[in-house]
Amino acid sequence: MTSLIIQTVVNAFVSSSFAALMAVGLVMIFGVMRVINFAHGELYMVGAYTVWYLYGENELPFFVAVIAAIALVGVVGLLMERTLFRPMRGNPLGGLILSVGVLFILQVLAVIIGGRGLMKHIPPALEGQWDVFGIEGVSVPFQRLVVIGVAVFLLALLWLFLKRTKLGWALRATAQDPEAALLQGISINKASLLAMGLGAALAGAAGGIMAPLVRVDPAMGHAAIITAFIVIIVGGIGSLEGAVVVAVLYTFFHTFVTTFLDGTLASIFGLVLLLVVLTIKPTGLFGKGEKH
Amino acid sequence: MSTNSLTRRQFVRTSAAIGVAAATVTGLPRFAASAEKTVKVGFLAPLTGEVAGWGLPGRDGCLIWADWVNAAGGIKVGADSYKVEIVSYDDEYAPDKALLGGKKLVLEDGVKIVLMLGGDPWPGVQPFMNEQKMLCTTLLPSDLSPDTPYLLAPCEVHPIYNVTGVEWLAANHPEAKTAAIVAQQDALGLPSVATYRAAFEASGIKVVHEKFFDIATTDFAPIVTAMLATKPDIICFDTAYPDYVNLLCEQAFHQGFKGKIVSCTMDNYPQIIEKTSKEFMEGVIFQFPDFDDPALEGTGINFKNANAFFAEYNKRFPGTWTAVSWEYASILELWKAAVEKAGSVEPLAALEAMKAGGRAPHIFGDAQWWGKDLFGIDNALVGNWPVVRITDGKAKIVEYRSIPVWWDKNKDVLIKHFRDLKQMWDQRA
Repeated sequence: MTSLIIQTVVNAFVSSSFAALMAVGLVMIFGVMRVINFAHGELYMVGAYTVWYLYGENELPFFVAVIAAIALVGVVGLLMERTLFRPMRGNPLGGLILSVGVLFILQVLAVIIGGRGLMKHIPPALEGQWDVFGIEGVSVPFQRLVVIGVAVFLLALLWLFLKRTKLGWALRATAQDPEAALLQGISINKASLLAMGLGAALAGAAGGIMAPLVRVDPAMGHAAIITAFIVIIVGGIGSLEGAVVVAVLYTFFHTFVTTFLDGTLASIFGLVLLLVVLTIKPTGLFGKGEKH
Repeated sequence: MSTNSLTRRQFVRTSAAIGVAAATVTGLPRFAASAEKTVKVGFLAPLTGEVAGWGLPGRDGCLIWADWVNAAGGIKVGADSYKVEIVSYDDEYAPDKALLGGKKLVLEDGVKIVLMLGGDPWPGVQPFMNEQKMLCTTLLPSDLSPDTPYLLAPCEVHPIYNVTGVEWLAANHPEAKTAAIVAQQDALGLPSVATYRAAFEASGIKVVHEKFFDIATTDFAPIVTAMLATKPDIICFDTAYPDYVNLLCEQAFHQGFKGKIVSCTMDNYPQIIEKTSKEFMEGVIFQFPDFDDPALEGTGINFKNANAFFAEYNKRFPGTWTAVSWEYASILELWKAAVEKAGSVEPLAALEAMKAGGRAPHIFGDAQWWGKDLFGIDNALVGNWPVVRITDGKAKIVEYRSIPVWWDKNKDVLIKHFRDLKQMWDQRA
């Protein structure tokens, strides 16, 4: 039983890392731009496809492909902000509908570029596994350890950026109160562009590092966005700390229920948890009420 | 009025002459073309999404089959020759899309048979197809019921043939005594779990773990962790979707599983071997052969040039061969024979010819129309089915086993498990 619990904890850490990257990106975009980006799952898909194309098909080094995925998806994010979301600022419904449009366009592009049928074949970049502290029956492949390492590194980098740089302060200020930020001379356009670029890049990173471990196909963003939405709603929409903490809590909960009870029940319980939190604390665990 | 100018009468005459000439010139080829008839075959299955692996490769197989038939002069129906045209529609494995596609294929395209994967989309399209009296086929006979008189399962008797793999494993590896099963909870997974339960019970193998997982699952690590915690001798991936089997195998490899693996399908297994190892995949048992298997060129196999078909498929659609690449084509082979026998391409005539005499040439040998006890209607063609084993990195048929013989011995066990999981035709409604 001990080894089963430890293996489950290890599995949960991998899921948490991926969920945190996705959710934090989504929260940043919503926090600064007030746009619910339904295409966030497809940005994750574009990251995975980039790694498939560069690493799986053209044999570039895995980490070069991941960096390219981060850059490419970041640029897609910048383009989305500049051409779609900026003209719709102040119109959350318009932004949401545009993001659904982007979702479909990216899916169709993936079909055109990558074709249909079975998932893309992406061999693991790192062979072998770590037998956790030598405990029998507990192991984690190095490829999955990469997910934890990259996620922790990127989230730490983001935390430093937000807490220690002027641009980061500007982003946080815009997220807290756009009007007050504007009065302080912060450009909302630049803050939005930065938030969208960073949020998209994090989704690209998640897709890139997860690509050898998951089903890479045009519809892969669906499941990812559902998890990310649950995490940010329970965490409190707009709360970066909430996104990280709830990503860990939710994925631990989901992984343990899947292992010890049932995978279908885990998904049902996840949604029940969402309803319970919203009933007790509508702003989410770390969210604050809107100022009127 | 100038003498050079065109009078009204001259204009009419000239126009008429030009018109007749144009009609003659353009009409001749049209007349010539009308001598060549075309029969349209509808292909209504998932071409995108999680289940695309059991739709798209089948469509591609049909395209090859149609090209070969057309190159050989088409289908002979009485004095006429019909070219075959495959018209496909992506049902996305959804009932509403299946209905849209069914209406388009039947009403707009005028197809004479509709090939489907079946499963979740079938209930969406069933009333319409019944109303149209359209001949439809499914790979999943669990779609059959007394309410589906125009639906046949002429190739796959999914999931009943899975019993042959378990029976072979039990006979050849009697040391394997416990099994763990996982599957997605849907029209493919549920009847398959009932069948594997029955097959393991009939072979004296105890099921120590049985779990369904959500179709939206992205991380299979916890599912495999729970499975391996029961220390089974055999892990069974049921009829999990192709990509799920891929990811489940990878997880089992990484979590150190050393026992036997049984699965309904093992699509694109070379990629799975690349992600795991040849040693890990050695001895995996499943039910779908590669068509370069010499055992498919023997007598009693009702599929022309199976080996050449496999070579052509891999040339035209490299890396996409799956369990269904040949299945829909094998149904068309049966349908072509029926159409030629009936002397008509009309759906009801073909249906009658296919079922005449209660027996038909199934791809793996002579077979009987069967299914009343399980599906409420004898519309499933059942006979032998191959047991496929991975040996030294290559899938090979190790034996053909008879499904009717197993059924005669174990029908009560199978019906019991179908009832337990509410998969009998009178429960599914």
